[in-house]
Amino acid sequence: MRVNLGGHLLWAATAVATGLIVLLGYFVQLDQIPQAGLFATFFKLRLLLMRYAVLLAAIALFLGLFNLVSVHWNKVSDQQAGWPYSGILIVAFFLTLVLGLVFGPDSPVVLLLFNYVQLPVEASLSALLVVSLTLAGFRVISSRRDLISGIFIVTALLVLIGSGPGLISSDGAQYSLIGGLRNWLAQVAAAGGARGVLLGVALGAIVTGMRILMAVDRPYGDR
Amino acid sequence: MSGVNLVGLAVLALFLVLLIFFLILGNRRPAVFRPLGGDEALQSAIERAVEAGERVHLSLGTGSVIGADSAPAFAGLVLLKSLASTTTLSDKPVVATTGDGAMAILAQDTLRSAYTEAGAEERYQATSGRMIGPTPWSYVANLPILLPNEDVSVHVLAGSFGAEGALAADFGERFGCFTLGGTDDAQTQALLYATAEYPLIGEELFAAGAYLGVGPVHKASLRVQDTVRMIVVGGILLGAILSLFGVTL
Repeated sequence: MRVNLGGHLLWAATAVATGLIVLLGYFVQLDQIPQAGLFATFFKLRLLLMRYAVLLAAIALFLGLFNLVSVHWNKVSDQQAGWPYSGILIVAFFLTLVLGLVFGPDSPVVLLLFNYVQLPVEASLSALLVVSLTLAGFRVISSRRDLISGIFIVTALLVLIGSGPGLISSDGAQYSLIGGLRNWLAQVAAAGGARGVLLGVALGAIVTGMRILMAVDRPYGDR
Repeated sequence: MSGVNLVGLAVLALFLVLLIFFLILGNRRPAVFRPLGGDEALQSAIERAVEAGERVHLSLGTGSVIGADSAPAFAGLVLLKSLASTTTLSDKPVVATTGDGAMAILAQDTLRSAYTEAGAEERYQATSGRMIGPTPWSYVANLPILLPNEDVSVHVLAGSFGAEGALAADFGERFGCFTLGGTDDAQTQALLYATAEYPLIGEELFAAGAYLGVGPVHKASLRVQDTVRMIVVGGILLGAILSLFGVTL
């Protein structure tokens, strides 16, 4: 008779045990517990597990990069739509990898690539964000005509007018009114709302973590 | 006990007790949640995408598995499993992308698990769970290529994002996709409110599992969230009133 030992149960048990050891470590101040005995060994194990997690994350990054190259390699091989972009990505990837391995990550050659290729591209995308947000603001006005969207747009405009230099004179009564309103919106209304949002996010994050610790959510696979 | 944070452990115990309580209560008194527009619209959009032979894309964000920003991506993985199960019959299986290598592996495992449960192991492709860029902006730079080339019509953002999340949502809108976005960062949520067709505000991302009917524990955990929130809000109000009368604790 073939016995299925249930590999997925082993994974779940490993994940739950590791999660519990690491979590319980957050509730203990290591410098205030005895440095010898079972208690200390338990929390030394926690530090060891966290070091392994960092190591595994680095290996996962390597696997992720392998996955990235294989996806684009398939696109070039099959001449799928947009394959020239995939070709450029593969060439740039191997060029950067070889230069990094030969000259080292801090060498002027690799820094040149970062400073004159990656940095300008990422800065351009940041600049594009401003244009996208402006257009999105107009889209909200035209497509979502409800009270909340109205409040959103009016608040954004008031904060812009109150913050932007030169939009209104800085020595008039208008400035003190709009500037004061902007400060109230940012420091009272927005801060209060953000705290409420963050409270909800924190509670959601806690229960999500608890579901993983209870092996209800098993992102590492069920089978 | 010296060196042990008993308050923290008590709060954790409270969550656990409430979760078990609502899990038992859920059988007798099923939870009724307020309708979420984004959730209903997502289900309709997925049905349309399956019928039209178009693809669903789930973005798990740019956060890492071992970082403090992993929780929204784990909530996104729950959503991914549900999406993969729903679109099993589609010609084009769901694609999940991320900016972290470890999260890409978890996405692959989640997809494999979903297809195995649905009895459609042959539908699984390792390249359906991908890391498309190791930095936030390089991740976003890949989206305008991926969305049109993969025939994506449903673009879901469920993970950790910074300002680049707004651009990720905007690309979805530009390519005519149904765009739903949720994240953990309050400032990015404000940006998503403007750029995504259906923004998820506050803890709505973490409630997705309960709304999509993933399981009774998800519904119970949402009730725990609501109960603890009421306790915290009550505490804040009580503290404010006591402070008003000059009482300090």
